[in-house]
Amino acid sequence: MILGYFGAGALLAGVVLGGFSACLAFWAGWRDAPVLTQIARRAFYAAAAMTLLAGVVLEVALITHDFSLVYVVEHTDLSTPMALVAAGFYGGQEGSLLYWTLILGLLGSASLVTSARLGGRVAAYATGILASILTFFLFVLAVVASPFDLLTVTPPDGLGLNPVLRDGGMLIHPPVVLAGFASFAVPFAFACASLLARRADAAWITHTRRFALLAWTLQSAGLLLGMWWAYHVLGWGGYWGWDPVENVALMPWLATTAYLHSSQVQERRGRLGTWNLGLVMVAFLLVVFGTFIVRSGIVPSVHTFAVSAIGPWFLGFLAACIAFSAALLAVRSGAKPDTSVRPAPLASRESAFVLQNLLLIGVAAVVFWGTVLPLVTGMLGGERVVGAPYYERAAGPLFAALLALLAVGPLLPWRHPNRSTVRALRWPAAAAVLTFLALLVAEVRSPAALIAFPCAAAAAATALSEYGRALVRKPQVLVRNRRRYGAYLAHLGLVVVVAGVAASHFGQQERDVTLQPGQSATVAGYTLTYSGGWQRALTDHVEYVAAVRFGDQTLEPSRATYATLGGQALTHVAISTTPVADVYVVLAATNDDGSAVFRIFVNPLVAWIWAGGVVIILGVVLGNVGEAGPVPELARRRITATLPA
Amino acid sequence: MRTLLRWGLPGLVVAGCVGYLIVTASGASAEYYVTVSELQSHPTTGDVRVAGVVQDGVERSGLHVTFTEKDGTASMPVDYTGTLPDIFKPGITVVVEGTMGADGVFHARTLLAKCPSRFSTQPYTS
Repeated sequence: MILGYFGAGALLAGVVLGGFSACLAFWAGWRDAPVLTQIARRAFYAAAAMTLLAGVVLEVALITHDFSLVYVVEHTDLSTPMALVAAGFYGGQEGSLLYWTLILGLLGSASLVTSARLGGRVAAYATGILASILTFFLFVLAVVASPFDLLTVTPPDGLGLNPVLRDGGMLIHPPVVLAGFASFAVPFAFACASLLARRADAAWITHTRRFALLAWTLQSAGLLLGMWWAYHVLGWGGYWGWDPVENVALMPWLATTAYLHSSQVQERRGRLGTWNLGLVMVAFLLVVFGTFIVRSGIVPSVHTFAVSAIGPWFLGFLAACIAFSAALLAVRSGAKPDTSVRPAPLASRESAFVLQNLLLIGVAAVVFWGTVLPLVTGMLGGERVVGAPYYERAAGPLFAALLALLAVGPLLPWRHPNRSTVRALRWPAAAAVLTFLALLVAEVRSPAALIAFPCAAAAAATALSEYGRALVRKPQVLVRNRRRYGAYLAHLGLVVVVAGVAASHFGQQERDVTLQPGQSATVAGYTLTYSGGWQRALTDHVEYVAAVRFGDQTLEPSRATYATLGGQALTHVAISTTPVADVYVVLAATNDDGSAVFRIFVNPLVAWIWAGGVVIILGVVLGNVGEAGPVPELARRRITATLPA
Repeated sequence: MRTLLRWGLPGLVVAGCVGYLIVTASGASAEYYVTVSELQSHPTTGDVRVAGVVQDGVERSGLHVTFTEKDGTASMPVDYTGTLPDIFKPGITVVVEGTMGADGVFHARTLLAKCPSRFSTQPYTS
């Protein structure tokens, strides 16, 4: 009971401190008053500390099973293992919002600490924007969707976490993906602030890019973990379903991926400054849009959050953010392009980056349209929905073009292409032709596969040939020019992911079989034998386990039944992973005569997706760790060392 | 003007391609999302997704299942073969994707359980 009041109080204090920080910071930016900026910044830290306090209170309430709180009752019970009780923090609507706000507060504070050194009005405006966003979230938490609502009667036990979420994946995927979502606010704040203050110094670009990289890395990890979890838990043999929840996580990632590439053009050639700021802002707007879509339940989705009252609030917030960003870009982006830089030739690195950006935004547009189609057509009468075929048809050609560009783009020089450029292109061209011929020999006739695999091979050849060239000429550039070679590593990882996706997409085989104990079934050359099943009782559920012999391994797909939750069932798949293919067994049903029904998938190269994803993230992280930090803004700096952050 | 041409033209070309892809793909694969009564008042032979509540009397044999799906007033028999969502049982809302057969039975290709409590359990009431 006391914890509920304590937490609600911390949230209210956070709203007041955040609001104060926002107002003061904008005033300080307007008047260019470093002392006021400093106070506003500290108020932001205090608001973040209040959020942290609220988070700690909620976590304590969960762990101590304080069933006077509605949230604790609805998301945990006494039989749930303790790690999952703790994970209940982000297992529901209100808690996940609090977690999100907490990450926003912590990352925002970190960004402000590092920006304080840089001084100037940009820091003031950035504080104001971050504080406004934080205050909005805290307000929603305190007033609309509080995790600290109390029950009049304290029940003896809770309802428990949904069985689907009682899994190890629950401990890693949601915290990473929610942190990814929250982190997009930081680059957004700095992009808007530099427009507001009419400053686009290299220091701010570096600072914004650094936090955009952080957001990108978190979001990549979140997407990858989400795919992994869906594949291992949901039991439909897939890692991606084009569900709105997945789509809204993908769109900001696409925009940020575009930004990480086009920011190179700004650094090298001083162009695309406004476009880059626009991308950073769009990424955040997509995050807010996604939150609205997912939390308001207005589009049909398999995994809907409990429909709640926060939908209209997020719609209002989204409208405010769009209006603010659009106005800012319209009013402040009138900076004249640097005419001293000669326009780049059509076949150059710069053009390749531009084309890549356009294609990525094109993919994002396809995904966006697919996500909002039910909404738009619903308003016009006759709600229509699209499934995977739409995304494959519309985004597939764009992905193919991106892959081809991945093979050519890195080899193009910033200036005019010359004979050595053409010579460098021989490796990817050879790889593409060889792969194409190999596919024809292997009797692959699907046009999509005949395009995807050769393009992927060419892209891999490009990255490898660049590594080869560096190793032959000057191995030390691998470290000195690490952003470039890190990028090639990420490209190689992407090729591995593409190979995995293409192989599992075009080559998946599935079969439904009913087997008596002792009987065998063969799918795609893999033979599995059903040896029998038994019941097993665990702390919070009972499960029926079927033992399936596969080579010298025994796979144990099972069906769990949760008695405390009205007998809700949960299927646990069993997967045997090799680099070549996954054998994926789902126990679909059991019959009274002792036989069991299995759905068996053979998914080629799925392990490549996980490995490639890790390589992509590694490449980007290795390529960017240890780079020189932003240089303090020297001009206009009035107060420096006297005011520590 | 020249800059506009340099950046605007490729932008327009790519935007045109993306627009073309979106229009053709959504035209070819968008399905109507209707309730049982809407389907019965406007019968279609193409693929549709139909939302409704599963009624008592689900018959299963192995992976084959037949049940009745109903919304407020109308109901229809559904025939489906495949793995069922874990939460499938009478009383939940499902979305079936498939075609209405001439026999009056809906032949579902996919079956999704549309449950607002996917990420949270039923609200506590006592």
